[in-house]
This record gives sequence, structure tokens and C-alpha cells, in this order.
Amino acid sequence: MRLGLYITRRLLMLAPVLVGVSIFCFLLIRVLPGDPILSIVPETATQEDIDRTRAQYGLDRPLVEQYGAYMAGVVRGDFGDSIQTNRAVVDQIAERLPRTLELVVLGFLLALVMAIVLGLFAALHAGRVGDHIARVGALVANSLPEFWLGLVLILVFFAALGIAPGPTGRISTGIDFEVVTGSLIIDSILTGNMPALVSALHHLMLPVLTLGVIVVAPMMRSVRASALQVMQSESYRCAAAHGLRPKTLLFGYLLRETMVRVPTLAALVLGNLIGGSVLVEFVFSWQGFGQWALRGLLLRDYPVIQAYVLVTASFYVVAFLVADVVQAALDPRIKV
Amino acid sequence: MADKNLQDTSAAAVERTGPTRRQLLELGAGLGLMLTLTPTGTFAQGKSELTIAIPADLGGWDHDYLAFDLVGLAVMKNCYPFMLEYGVKDQDGAAVMDTENIVPVFAESWEGDAEGKVWTLKIRKGVTFPSGNPLTAKDVKWSKDRAFAAKANVAGVYRLIGLTEASQVEVVDDYTVRFTQSQPSDLSSHIQIISLYVFDSEELKKHATADDPWAKDWTTKNPQSGGAYNVVDYKPGQEIVLESNPSFPSAQPRVKRVKLQVIPAPANRRLLLEKGEVDIALGLSRRDINDMRGAKGIKVISSPSNEFVFMPMAMGTAPFDNPKVRQAMAHVVPYDAIVSNVYSGNARRSTSPVPLDMPGHSAKGYPFGFDIDKAKALLAEAGMAGGFESEIAILAGDVAQERAAVLVSSAARLAGIDLKITPLDPGTLFQRRREKTLPLQIASGQMWVNDIEYLLATSLTPGGFLNYAGYDSARIVEIFQTLNKTSDMATRNRLFDEVQTILARDVPWLVLAQPHFDLPVAASVSGWVQPVDGLFRLRYLDA
Repeated sequence: MRLGLYITRRLLMLAPVLVGVSIFCFLLIRVLPGDPILSIVPETATQEDIDRTRAQYGLDRPLVEQYGAYMAGVVRGDFGDSIQTNRAVVDQIAERLPRTLELVVLGFLLALVMAIVLGLFAALHAGRVGDHIARVGALVANSLPEFWLGLVLILVFFAALGIAPGPTGRISTGIDFEVVTGSLIIDSILTGNMPALVSALHHLMLPVLTLGVIVVAPMMRSVRASALQVMQSESYRCAAAHGLRPKTLLFGYLLRETMVRVPTLAALVLGNLIGGSVLVEFVFSWQGFGQWALRGLLLRDYPVIQAYVLVTASFYVVAFLVADVVQAALDPRIKV
Repeated sequence: MADKNLQDTSAAAVERTGPTRRQLLELGAGLGLMLTLTPTGTFAQGKSELTIAIPADLGGWDHDYLAFDLVGLAVMKNCYPFMLEYGVKDQDGAAVMDTENIVPVFAESWEGDAEGKVWTLKIRKGVTFPSGNPLTAKDVKWSKDRAFAAKANVAGVYRLIGLTEASQVEVVDDYTVRFTQSQPSDLSSHIQIISLYVFDSEELKKHATADDPWAKDWTTKNPQSGGAYNVVDYKPGQEIVLESNPSFPSAQPRVKRVKLQVIPAPANRRLLLEKGEVDIALGLSRRDINDMRGAKGIKVISSPSNEFVFMPMAMGTAPFDNPKVRQAMAHVVPYDAIVSNVYSGNARRSTSPVPLDMPGHSAKGYPFGFDIDKAKALLAEAGMAGGFESEIAILAGDVAQERAAVLVSSAARLAGIDLKITPLDPGTLFQRRREKTLPLQIASGQMWVNDIEYLLATSLTPGGFLNYAGYDSARIVEIFQTLNKTSDMATRNRLFDEVQTILARDVPWLVLAQPHFDLPVAASVSGWVQPVDGLFRLRYLDA
């Protein structure tokens, strides 16, 4: 019950956060040079044509009025129409966001597993060769530009070894699938479409690996530092001094306490991934949420940019909420 | 000229004698001519499917409202029924569109009156849309009414030939439509090649609402068909699958099925072509293309192009308001270095603001070469012996523009001119072009109508939407107005010549180069026809 109230309270806090973010974003993109209307009218357009088009999108109205109309729409679930494509932004979010979420969540889970395994391994072998290799390896991976890593993985696993599909998107051409949620994995399972499932997993292989490798380092370092701290604690040393088996020590004393610190950082990483997967999407022809937003930004497509910022901000807030709940579940000292 | 509405033509200037252009445009015999000029002259069937890697998905399916989107325009050129088209000719061993030869496709004929003001379109009978609805005069009328209501793309170019009201387009009978311009124009047929596409009006009306009488919402989201190809599958952001339209009234496309795969990263488009996963990779950099020359299983189609690269100077702003400064600038451009370094030699040096191959082109239009001493002398005459500072705006991410800007900037420094290179994202570039706040910029494009009158209308007269230099010459305007009313080729040629004499004096642009069109394809692909507008015509391809 208390947890339910806590979650409700936190979700209610989402509203003022999003209002603040929306105001900031709304004003910021209008300060940037670049007129979205000039990118859609033909070059033959007269000033009258431009003014008429500007009025069609309500951009001739005072800023306060524009913002009010926008937020009134958002409350109704209407994010407006893209200036570039005339399509409803909410439709495009529904189309693009699941693609990015599927990629990001899998990349994040891969990174999380790798971080826990490598972090604990490094801590248990602190100061030894294995520790140094794990730490340096993670640091190097963290330093690689994701587009470069993606291209290298494509060259190795597609061009040289031929075990990965070409970077042609999320599924092989010629495979029909029914869109239910927008996630190919979920949809192909729901519809019992095995060829689509296999193809989707195959196409996810390299981009998920790319994302996972890029973000594993900070989480691994956090796990290692946390594990080292736990290993210095009286309870752990006492357990070890009593001669408990390594497996019992690992799962009974080290793992859970080590994980207490991870959720907050993991939430930050996940939020970053949702907002920052654009280069991986570009390299793997993913046509996801980030790519859509980037094009919107370049052409000053205000409704697209505003929606992207709002959705990304919402994910940050929700990710931190989940992190706090998970942390509370892991650490009995924390009350929610 | 540049960018959106431009297109090429690579036809040598032709001295026109005999029949007038208007007579030639009476298109009864045009179809047969087109058939004989198609690249291979045969219709042997090769591979039945082609896969083409394209850099982006299209922004929407509504031609009337499409924003600046070359991919979208290219796809629509193949999917929408266009009444008229250019023929094809051989130029230096390459198949290129022949802007001297206009042929009917969905039209049966296209005929102007003696004055060139009233044009009659006769539509082929028996043509149907994929819905089964027949294509008739009411579809043409509805489509043009829609274009005028949109006040967007078509409405913009129609102004050039005096079509501004829907009432100027009238249905004569079920298969005849009359266009009555407010003024005669020699550009009418060329403008109609760009603009005379037709919607399935009966189908669209089903999706119209009180708030959306032209079914804009539905048309934007749903593929339109009925051209040489029909869209049979569309996965937004991923692929577009086209199949040849059995109802296409001209020669059937040789490749029955074409898959356009969206592959944003150029490196991946190249890789997929090298691995044989796609047959054609569009939008590769010149460096990638050069690397692929001679690669196994790949050939590079190369042909002269009407794309031209130039640097407009803001003539209303100091120091470029001084003709001596502009002439000095014309002497600091390292033309040969640009051709060899930026384009690896796969370009022609421009010799006039009038593009090479445009009828009437004369090298007298740009009598300048790289000569720093002359540049310094001209600067001294302009009272700027110490040089000046300015900026070159380029499109961010455009490698060729960046390399050309670096070469110009380096050379200019030798004359004491300090040019800062400013990359701008598309949004900012559009705005600053419109506001005319770019002192010096690099632009490129193709003239969609291969005619000096069109060049003047769009790029070198006040109000021209591509007049980035803000050029305003009373005599040029006078010549343009005369050209509007003159079909006599002797007079036109004399005026074309005078235009270039004036441009050589006024120097509104630095003309950098006219790069070749280069396209890497699988070795089995043939039949590419170089379009004048940069919009590929898939129906000629074979594989």
C-alpha cells in the first residue's frame, strides 16, 4: 500500500517536471536560428504564401498562446502534426518509439548483465591481471564512438564472417509480420510468427551488442567499487572468516548488497540510451525514435522536437522511479 | 537554379532551324521517337527484380505538399502518372534525357496555339488507375484544382507561365483539357513536365472530409500509384516495393519489381553493393565512388550532368556590392584544383553562369581564371588593397562543399582575403538564404528546365526564388521580359548571348564546376538514363 502511494506520488511529480521541460524546450527551439516554415514552402513561395503557411501551423500567434494550445493538445494526447510530413506526431511516436525501446532495453539488459559479471569478477580479483583486463577493456569500450564500433561489427560479422545480417533494418525483406505493439519480438511471439522472430533477433544481434558494449563501462566500475566496499564490510569479512563456501558468499553476502548501488546509475544509463541511440539507429538503418527526432531537429520541426523531449524526459523520470523502487526492494534500510 | 527545382540537361547547344519548338512539341509522333531512343533499343527481359539502397524514406506521399525531399520526388516520378516526359538521347556514349524532345506518356498529345498561350492536352483512352477508375479529364482538372488550392509546389512553378487560377484549366470533353495561360511562354511544356501529374480523383474523394476536402491527411500517409510503377508494399522507414504497372501506356518497364531499401549510412550502402545485397547504391560520396571504380562485380555509370556548383555573392552587401571585388573574387578561385581535388577530375569546368549544355551557353559568360595578381589589382582598384574579411556558408556535412570552400579560402588568403567557413544546418541555411544574409555561399543544383529564360526567371532576376545573390540588372530584366514573348530562335539566341556578356561584367556568381553524374551499380545493371532533374526513371533500367 505504502509502495503504491509512493509510486502515485512520484508519478504526480511527473507533471510539474514535464511542464518545466516543455516550457524550456518550447522557448529554446524558437530561439535557435532556422525557420521550419521555410523548409516546407517551395522556393517559389511568396511572402503571402509563407505567412499563410505559418498561420496554418499557428506559428503566427503569440508565444504564450502557442504554448497554451500545444499543452491543451498534449493533455488530450495530441502532440500536433509534424511540419515536415503533415502526419500526426503521436502516430509517428507510436511507430518509432517501440523500435527504439526494443533495441535500447535489450542493449541495456546486455550491458547490465555484463557489468554485474565483469564487475564482480574484477572485484574478486582486485589488483590482479583479470581485474586490470576487465577494467581496461571496459574503459576502451566506453571510449569507442558507437557509430565506429557499429561499422566495425558490421564489417566483421556481416562482411567478413557472414554470420550477421546486413544493416538493412529490423527484419529481412520478404518476411511479413503483423504490427501489434511495434516491438517485433513481442509481436512475432503474439502472432506465432517464427520466421519474423528469428529474423528480428538476428537483426538485433549487432546493434544490441554495440549499445551494450558502449555503456557497460560505467556500470561495471560501479559494480566493482560497490563490491569492493561490501567485501570490506564486517558482515562479509565475518562470513568469509567463518569459512562459508565461495558460492554462498557470492550469492548470500556479496551480490545483493553490491546491487544496491546499481539502480540509480542504471536508470541514468537507460535514460541516456533512449535519448542517445540515434547513431546506432543510423548505422543499422533502424529508423527509430532518435533518427526521427534528429531529422526533426535539423529541419526545426517544432512539434517533433517538443514531443521527443517530453517523451525522453518522461522516460528519465519513470526510469528513476523504477530505480528507487528496486533499490528499496534491495536495501531494507531504505523506506519508500 | 539550384537545389529543388533544378534539373539538368546535357545536350549540346543546338542551332534551331526548320520547325519551331512549338511545332516540335506537338507530340503526336513523340512516343515513337521515345521508343527508338530508349537506351538499348530492345526490350529483352533480364533479372526481374532490382534492389536499390536509398539514403532516406520519403517525407510523405502527397506530391502537392511534399517538402524539399529529393528521394520523395524521385519515387513519385515513378509512381504518379505524369502526362508528359522528356525523350532520351545519347550523349558521349551515355543515355541522357533530351530536353529538346518532349513526348507524351499518359497524354495522347499536347498542343499549343500559335501564340503559345492556350494549350490542349488530350489524354490516352483506356488507361486506368490501380483502383480500376479510368484516368480522364476530370482527374486532371481535379488534380490541378487541388494544386491551386494547395498553393504549394505546382502553384509556385505555374506562376512562371501565367497559370494562377484554377479557372484557367478547363475540361473540354472526357479526354481533353485546356490550359489558358495569362501570357504566352516558351517554357509551358517544360513546366508541365514537372507539374502535370494526376491523382485518382474518385479514390481521393472517398477520403475527403469537410475539414479536409482534398484528402490531404489520407494522401500524405498512403502510397499513390498509377505511373510506370505501382507501390505494392510500403514499410515506413524501411522499404518501398514497386511493381511495374500493367496499365502504363508507354513501353513496359524492363524490371518488373524494384525494392527501395532505406539505408541511411553511406558506408553501409557501399558495403551492401559490394556484397551484392543491393544492385544500386544512391547518394554515395565521390570518394566512395572513386574507391569502387574497378571493383569486382561493380561498375560506375558516369555521364555529363547539368548539376552545377556555384558561389553566389550577396550583391547588396559590402564588399560584394562592388563589381571590382566580385571580379577579384572570380580570379582567386582555383578552378582546376577544384575539378581535380574535389571531384577527382570527374567534373567539367564551368565557363558561364549559364550551365554547359544549356542551349545558348557561351564561354563569354565567365572570362575569369585563377590569377592572384589580377585579383590584387582589382582589389586595389576597388580601394581594398588590404583585402577584407567575410564568410563562406556551406551545408554542414556536405564534404564536397567543405573541400571546395577550403580551396577557395586558402587561395583567397593569397590575395589578402580572409574567408571564414561557416557550416550551417539545413534549417538555418534555408532561413539565411531567404533573408539574403549570406555574403558568400556554396550552392549547387540542376535546372529542371534547360532554358536560359527559366534560369533568368528563377535565379537571376529580382523575385527569382533562387536568386541567392540578390542580382538586379535592369537590362537583364528587360531581356527576360522580351524572352517571355519571343519564340523566334534567332532573337532568343541573340539575347542569350547578350545575357552572358552582361553576366561577365556583373559577376553575380563564382562558377566553380559542373560535376559528372557518377553512380556505382552492380555490373549486371544497365539502361540508366541520366535525368535532367536528378530524379531517377526506373522504367529504363535493366538487370
